[in-house]
Amino acid sequence: MTWRRRTQALAPATMRVDWPACQGRGVCAEVLPELVSLDEWGFPVIRGGVDDELLDLARQAAADCPHRALRLIR
Amino acid sequence: MTSLATVEPAPARCGMPFFSPPAQVMVDPGPMLLADLDDGPSLAAHRSRFGGVGAAGPGSAAPESVEQLAQWAEAVGLAGRGGAGFPFHVKLRAAAAGPRGRRPIVVVNLAEGEPLSGKDTALARCVPHRVLDGAALTAGLLGAREVHVVVPRERPLVEESMALAVAERQAAGERLAWRLTVVGPGFVSGQARAVIEALSGRPGLPVTAWQPEAVSGLRGRPTLLSNAETWAHVWAVVQRGPAGYAALGTSSEPGTTLLSLPGADEASVGVGTVAVVEVELGTSWAAPMGEVAHDVPVLLGGFHGTWTTASTLTGMPVSRVALRDGGLALGAGVAWPLPPGVCPVDVTASITAYLAGESAQRCGPCRNGLPALAAEVGALARGVSADYTRIEHLAGLVERRGACAHPDGTARLVRSLVSAFGDEVAAHRAGRCDVTRRDLTRPEVAQ
Amino acid sequence: MSGPMLWYLNRGTGVVLLVLYTATVVLGLLSVSRRPGVRRVPQFFVQGLHRAVSGMATALLLVHVVTAVLDTYVDIRWYDVFVPWGGTYRPIYLAAGAIAVDLLLAVGLTSLARARLSDRAWRVVHLLAYPSWAASVAHTVGIGTDMATPWLRMLLVGSVGVVVAVGVTRLARVRRMAPGRA
Repeated sequence: MTWRRRTQALAPATMRVDWPACQGRGVCAEVLPELVSLDEWGFPVIRGGVDDELLDLARQAAADCPHRALRLIR
Repeated sequence: MTSLATVEPAPARCGMPFFSPPAQVMVDPGPMLLADLDDGPSLAAHRSRFGGVGAAGPGSAAPESVEQLAQWAEAVGLAGRGGAGFPFHVKLRAAAAGPRGRRPIVVVNLAEGEPLSGKDTALARCVPHRVLDGAALTAGLLGAREVHVVVPRERPLVEESMALAVAERQAAGERLAWRLTVVGPGFVSGQARAVIEALSGRPGLPVTAWQPEAVSGLRGRPTLLSNAETWAHVWAVVQRGPAGYAALGTSSEPGTTLLSLPGADEASVGVGTVAVVEVELGTSWAAPMGEVAHDVPVLLGGFHGTWTTASTLTGMPVSRVALRDGGLALGAGVAWPLPPGVCPVDVTASITAYLAGESAQRCGPCRNGLPALAAEVGALARGVSADYTRIEHLAGLVERRGACAHPDGTARLVRSLVSAFGDEVAAHRAGRCDVTRRDLTRPEVAQ
Repeated sequence: MSGPMLWYLNRGTGVVLLVLYTATVVLGLLSVSRRPGVRRVPQFFVQGLHRAVSGMATALLLVHVVTAVLDTYVDIRWYDVFVPWGGTYRPIYLAAGAIAVDLLLAVGLTSLARARLSDRAWRVVHLLAYPSWAASVAHTVGIGTDMATPWLRMLLVGSVGVVVAVGVTRLARVRRMAPGRA
């Protein structure tokens, strides 16, 4: 495995928001409060990367977004 | 190599920021991009001086492949001139690396949304074919057949000049499909993804990009979109060869850059005049800025830029690295000293309010956060700011939470006000403005 | 095949389906909200319940439809389930049922394939759930064997009432609270 591949495999997964699609419904913050909190207008603030034990919840948060505005990037 | 020679005192360049495109753009001759302006903007004049597309001058040869051009661009450290300073060779290689079936597309972006900037206007009006040759030779190397030229609606003279230039090239039988598109008006309409949206027939506003446009852009194809000045530099690197290009500037930062400053014409101050000058990288700021008092506030980079003082700037060369080390950024190449007696807090409040109004309204944090930030900075300007930490809180809340960098640029401007003019900010919080000598708590004096 | 068992199954599933699909629509309406912040009942719970109930209902729908076709007491062919014309038994209300099924198929299939669709496409098709439910109510009124009984009438009135009440209040709240969206 090249060095680049290895570092990519080791890099934590992250969540990215599609901001024009996000309507501030806050489902992601309900499903994944460990990583997602809401600002004063209801939009998600994502703290940090996704650790392995939170991967399943992160996937669920992305799937549950009513506007498909959240993606898990591996 | 360039020495920081002493310069003759020049008239001071100071102007009020304005929010629509400049009424007048004055262009000084320069050493490379703005050389030989007397030739005029025609294709014939350009060809007679420089030859065909991608033709190299004496002592250099045309690049034979994309990779060679990328190496040259890397060797001279060619950075994008649209404001972000992204290395051109990285974009070029990414666009070239696309799958065989997807032909790349080249886009020349002249939509400088920054009202204080005039460099793209200057290039369009004076030397359009230096820009277009840079794009054309790159398109040839990439195997691209389409070149889109994007002009801003609010600067009709740019559209006029580029339409003429494109027509000249079509009449000359160039084997490229040139398409001119007008975008805007609006501060964010020149953003890369917004431009691609406009080229796709959708509203010209930013959208989330899951991949860089050099990988997947217009119609999913690798799209090499760069600012007009960047393309002019590409032309210059090929025309002079990397060694010839590096004869200007410094060894670590070769070449030149275009700067926009207030027009020095006393009569037109306040009307909206921009002077465009080309300076070699490494030159002292004293040369383009002229004789400006040392404590004059200078807005560097434009509305998404950073505040500094004239003395800070004149103490360093025109250099990306030096500026970055000083916590500043060249941005769109705007260097705007304020006239005497104008308070940077007031100016920041006006600019922030303008930027809040220019939000595309697509992303929640920007749509909500920028007006809130503008309200806070406005309150600070009026001397009624109660919770000072809210400004920092809001600035942090809008950064990196949007489809484009509009909120980030706005936050950068506000933060730089606090770090560069902490004393003025503290005075405003105490209810007075030391720059304009006003007691802000007494409304009849403030108006 | 004949015999009362198929008929009872058909009638029974019909009544339960009215309740389940009404619940599905109400849960869907309750999922629409623009109020920021976390609520007492998390949205993902309401959404999950909406999906679960609609899944149960669709399973029962299969029984309802199969028993109707298999039962030879009335002449309902398998294509009458999907095609709203050419039926012989209470044709208008049978057609209403077929329309409800067709619209439901569109809603269900697009929801299963949601990852492949744009958000707008999915949303537009999902709105067909409302006319689907309305068609199923019409189907019940016209073809329901037990329509003469007071309890089914009350159930019907109650179902329609709940959907209208929740729908109107949700619509009012969304209109009031929706942020300006470009």
